[in-house]
Amino acid sequence: MATATEAKKKTVRINGCVASAQAAKYADVDVITAYPIRPYTATMMALAQMVANGELDAEYIVADSEHSQLSIAHGASSSGARVFTGSSGVGVQFAYELYSPISGSRMPVQMMIADRTLDPPGDFGSEHTDALSTRDMGWLMGWSCDAQEAFDNHLMAYRIGEDPRVLLPQMVCQDGFFVSHITTDVELPDPGQVKEFLPPYKHPYPLDPRHPVSHGPQIMPEQGPPLQLERARAMEGSMAVIEEVHDEFAKIFGRRYDPWVEEYKTEGADIVFFMQGGHAVTARFAIQHLRDQGVKVGLVRLRTIRPYPADRVNEVLSKFKVVGVIETNMGLGSVSSGGSLYAEACAALYESKTRPLVMSFMAGMGGEAIVLKEFYWMTQKMTEAQKRGKIEKRTHWVGFEE
Amino acid sequence: MSTKGTRIPDWLTVPFAGITPAPSQEKGQDLFPTGNWRSIRPVYRDKLPPCNNACGTNEKIQGYLDLVKRGKYLDAYALIKEDMPFPSVTGRVCYHPCEQACNRGQYDEAISIRAVERFLGDLGQSLQRDVVKAGPSNGKKVAVVGSGPAGHSAAYQLARLGYKVTILEKSPKAGGLNRGGIPDWVLPQDVLDREIERLVELGITIKTNTEVGKDVSWDDLKKNYDACVLAVGLTEPNSVRAEGENKAGVIYGLPFLRDIGMGTSKVKLGARVAVIGGGNTAIDCAREALRQGAVEVTMITVESNPQEMPCVPEDLHDMREEGVELLHGRAMTAVLGNGKVEALQLYPARFSGAINASPITINREAPAEKFAVDNVIIAVGQHASLAWLPAEFKNERGTIKIDRFGRLGDTNFFAAGDIVQLGSGQPLMVVNAVGDGKRVAFNLDKVLRGEALEPRKIAVDVIMDLNRMNMTYFPHFPRVKQKLLPAMSRRKTQEEVILGFTEEQATEEAYRCFSCGTCNACDNCYLVCPEPCIARPARSNGLYKILVDYCKGCRVCIEECPTGCLEGVPELDFDTGVVRMDTAFAISPGLHGRQAQELVNLSNRPAKQI
Repeated sequence: MATATEAKKKTVRINGCVASAQAAKYADVDVITAYPIRPYTATMMALAQMVANGELDAEYIVADSEHSQLSIAHGASSSGARVFTGSSGVGVQFAYELYSPISGSRMPVQMMIADRTLDPPGDFGSEHTDALSTRDMGWLMGWSCDAQEAFDNHLMAYRIGEDPRVLLPQMVCQDGFFVSHITTDVELPDPGQVKEFLPPYKHPYPLDPRHPVSHGPQIMPEQGPPLQLERARAMEGSMAVIEEVHDEFAKIFGRRYDPWVEEYKTEGADIVFFMQGGHAVTARFAIQHLRDQGVKVGLVRLRTIRPYPADRVNEVLSKFKVVGVIETNMGLGSVSSGGSLYAEACAALYESKTRPLVMSFMAGMGGEAIVLKEFYWMTQKMTEAQKRGKIEKRTHWVGFEE
Repeated sequence: MSTKGTRIPDWLTVPFAGITPAPSQEKGQDLFPTGNWRSIRPVYRDKLPPCNNACGTNEKIQGYLDLVKRGKYLDAYALIKEDMPFPSVTGRVCYHPCEQACNRGQYDEAISIRAVERFLGDLGQSLQRDVVKAGPSNGKKVAVVGSGPAGHSAAYQLARLGYKVTILEKSPKAGGLNRGGIPDWVLPQDVLDREIERLVELGITIKTNTEVGKDVSWDDLKKNYDACVLAVGLTEPNSVRAEGENKAGVIYGLPFLRDIGMGTSKVKLGARVAVIGGGNTAIDCAREALRQGAVEVTMITVESNPQEMPCVPEDLHDMREEGVELLHGRAMTAVLGNGKVEALQLYPARFSGAINASPITINREAPAEKFAVDNVIIAVGQHASLAWLPAEFKNERGTIKIDRFGRLGDTNFFAAGDIVQLGSGQPLMVVNAVGDGKRVAFNLDKVLRGEALEPRKIAVDVIMDLNRMNMTYFPHFPRVKQKLLPAMSRRKTQEEVILGFTEEQATEEAYRCFSCGTCNACDNCYLVCPEPCIARPARSNGLYKILVDYCKGCRVCIEECPTGCLEGVPELDFDTGVVRMDTAFAISPGLHGRQAQELVNLSNRPAKQI
C-alpha cells in the first residue's frame, strides 16, 4: 500500500521546529495553543503561517501564559478536538499544574518540546531537564534525534495517544538548537498515507451539551486510587500499542524505528553509551571513529522514556561490560548525584544476571554541545573501568575532570 | 506488568476512566456527593413580613398578595378569611397599619394593601356560597354579646371551631360599630348586610333587640351557655363638660352616626355646623354633616395642627377636599344660645402632655371667642355602659377587667374589643377589635377543651427588614391609586367615596409586593445554583428543597434570594468540639456516622422544618 501513493511524497530541507509544524499540519490538528518562548517558538511561527495561508484549517489560540496555553489545550481536547501545543524550558515548568489533570482526564493532548535549559543559565540548548521533570505525570514521552525522527514521532504519538486503549497525552521532545534549529532533509509523506495512518480523532466521551458528561469532577478520596490505577494501566497498556503503531508506521511509510531503543554498533561492543536525543548524532560519529581504532564501543539510544521499557533496557544493556549514561539533565542530589537517567538505567539492570558497570556522565549541561573530544574522554573512562572491573565513581562531570 | 491482576471494585468503577456521566444522567451524581464539604447550609426559613406583624389580626397579607399575583383570587380570599371575617369591610374602613409597616414604603411607596383586601372582600361578597364552613359541632353553646367588629370576629371563629354561637345584639340591626359608627359613604349598608348573612350561613343565631342587663341577665348567660364573649363596645358618648351642653341642637357624634346608620335619625341640621374633636369619628361626623344638609362645617380641635390629629391622614385629606374647615388649638367651654345653640364659646387650649389623651389646658386669660353655629356635634370619644356587670369584673378605667388572655377571672366569660381596649394604648380601630375577637375565641376554645393558655410570642429577628433582602431584584414602581368620587359631587350624597380596584389594578399592585422574608416561588435559587442541587417538583412556595448531598455551601442562592427567605446556617459547630476533618469526607452512611446520617435525614424532611 505504501507504493501506491509514493509519488506524492516529497523531501524538503527544514529544521526540527518546522518538521514539528509540518507534522501538526499533516495530522490535521483542530486546535493549536501557543505562547512564545525560544526555541520552540519557530514551530508556532510556522504553524501560524500555515493557518494564515489557509494550508491548515485549525483554531490558533495565543494564550496569555503557558498555564493558560495548557488549560486551553485541556479544554479543547475535552471537546473532542485534536490539539497541538508546545513549549520550552521555563515555559514547560510554568504549565506544570496542568500535566496531571490532562493525563488524569485522559486527554490525548500533544505537546512539542524543544528543550531549553532551565534558569540558570536559561540559554536554549539541549538540556532535557525541562521536560524530564514532568516525566512521572502520566504523559507518553520520548526524544527524537533529528528532524525526520521528530516528524515521524509526532504522527506516531498522536496515533498511540488517541488509541482508545491508551488515551494519554504525549510529549514529543527534541533538543533545542541541536535538533530544533539545524536544517536537514526531511521526507514529507503523501497526505493520503497520513490519513490512512492517522484517522480523525474521536474521543468516546467528548464534552457535548447534547450528551452531558463531567470531565475532571471533584471526587471522593476513595475514588482517587482507582483513577490512578487506571492511569497506570493505560501507561503500561500503551507499550503493546506503541509496538503495533511502530510496525504499522514502518509498513506505510517505509521507515522502521525500534520503539524503545536504537542500537548503533553494539555488535561485539564491550562498552556502550546510554543516552537520549540529538547528541546521539555526534555519538555515532565518535563511535565510528573509535571503532576504526579498534575500540569496542557502541550506542544505545533510548527513544521512549515513558512508558519506560525496563525489560528491554535490561535485556539490551546486560549484553555489555560497561554502560556510560550521558545524562543531559539534572538530578541534583539523586542516586548518582548527577542526572536522573542513571537511576532509570540501574533500576532496569537490577534483575540482570550479567549486570554491567554503570557510570554517569554529566555532559551537554546548560545546553552546551557534547564535542567529539568529550566522547573520546568518556570512552577512556569507561575503558579504564572495564579494565579495573570497578567504577571509579558514579558520576563524572565531563570537562571538569582530568 | 505492575497493573496485572489489579481489580477495581464495581462501586468505584466509572464508565470511562477520568470521565463520569453528568449529574443529569441516571445515577451519575450518586458517585460524587459533595455536600459534606459545606460549612454553611442554605435553609428556607420564612420570616414574618412586617405587614402581617402590624395587622391587628395578623392577616397573612404577603400570602394573599402573592396569590393575587398568580391570579388565584379565591385562594387569596380563603387565606384572608382565616383571620378576617369581613375583608369587604376592613378593605374599606381599616386604618391599615400594615401599609405604614410595609417595607416598600422605605423604597418607593407602600403597597396599597387595603385596596387589594377590598378587591378580595368584594369577590367574596359576590360568591353564592362562602368558602368558609362551620366546624363539626362540638355540642357547646357560646353567647357573644354585641355584633360589632370584636363580637362578629369572635362569633365567626367560634362557629368555625364547631361551637353553637348565639349573638345578642341590643339594636334592631346587627353590625354594632360597623353599622352605627361608619357612614354609608364609607361602608355601604348592603356590604355589611351581606357579611352578617355570612354569619347566619355559618349557623350563628343573631338575636337583635336583646340587651344584656335588660333582656338577658348575667346569670342567664352563665346558666344558658357554656361560655360567653362580651364584646359590647363603648356605647356612651363622652361629654366635653361645657356649660349649656344640654341645649337643643347639641348632638353627640356616635349617636348621630348610629341613628343615621340604623335609619332612625330625626336630626335636621342647620346651615352652620361645628364638630368638636379631632379623631376619626369627628371626621366622619363632619363629612356626614355636609351630606345631612349643612352648608358650612367647621371642625374645632384642641390639637394645634392637622398632623397631631389622631386620625387616618387620607380621611382628613378627603374631608378637607369636601370643604370642611379646621379650627385648631381651641376648646369649647360653653354652648351659648337661648334654649337652642346659637354660638360656641371658645378659648385657646392645648393638651397638657405630649399625647392627645392627656388633660387639656385651657387659657382663660385670653379673650373668649364666640363662634356662631346652628348645631354642634361633639365627638370626643365614648365610654362603656356596664351597669349589668358584676363589680368584681370592672376596673378603674370603666372597662371590663380581664387577664392577658381576655378572660374574666377563672370564669368562662371572655371580653374583647373596645370594651377592654379603651385606655390600653391600642388604637380603638376595627381591625384591632377583630384581632381581639379572634384571639379570645381561640383562648375560649382552649379553656373549654382544658388546654393551657400561652401568650403569643414573636422573636424580633423573625420580622423581616429591608436590609436582609436583595433589592437588586425590585425595580421601582409607583403605587396604584384608588379612584375617588369628585369632592364637590360626593359631598351631598351617600355614595361610596373611594372606588375599588379593578382586577388589573389589584394584580398590578400585588406584583409590587416584595414578599419580605418569605418564599414566593420566584425560582431564583433554582436557577442560580451552580450545581443542580436545588430541586422542586413544581414552582410553588415550600416545595423547594436543597439536595444536601450535593450542595457545597457556595451561598449563591442565599445571596441571590430576593426576599431573604434563604438563610445560611453553620453546618458544624466548631465550638462544641466537632472535629471537621473527621466528618468532612463522608461518602456514605456508616463511614462517617453522624453527619452523614444527619444529611440523609435532612433531605427527607420538609424544607420548612430544616
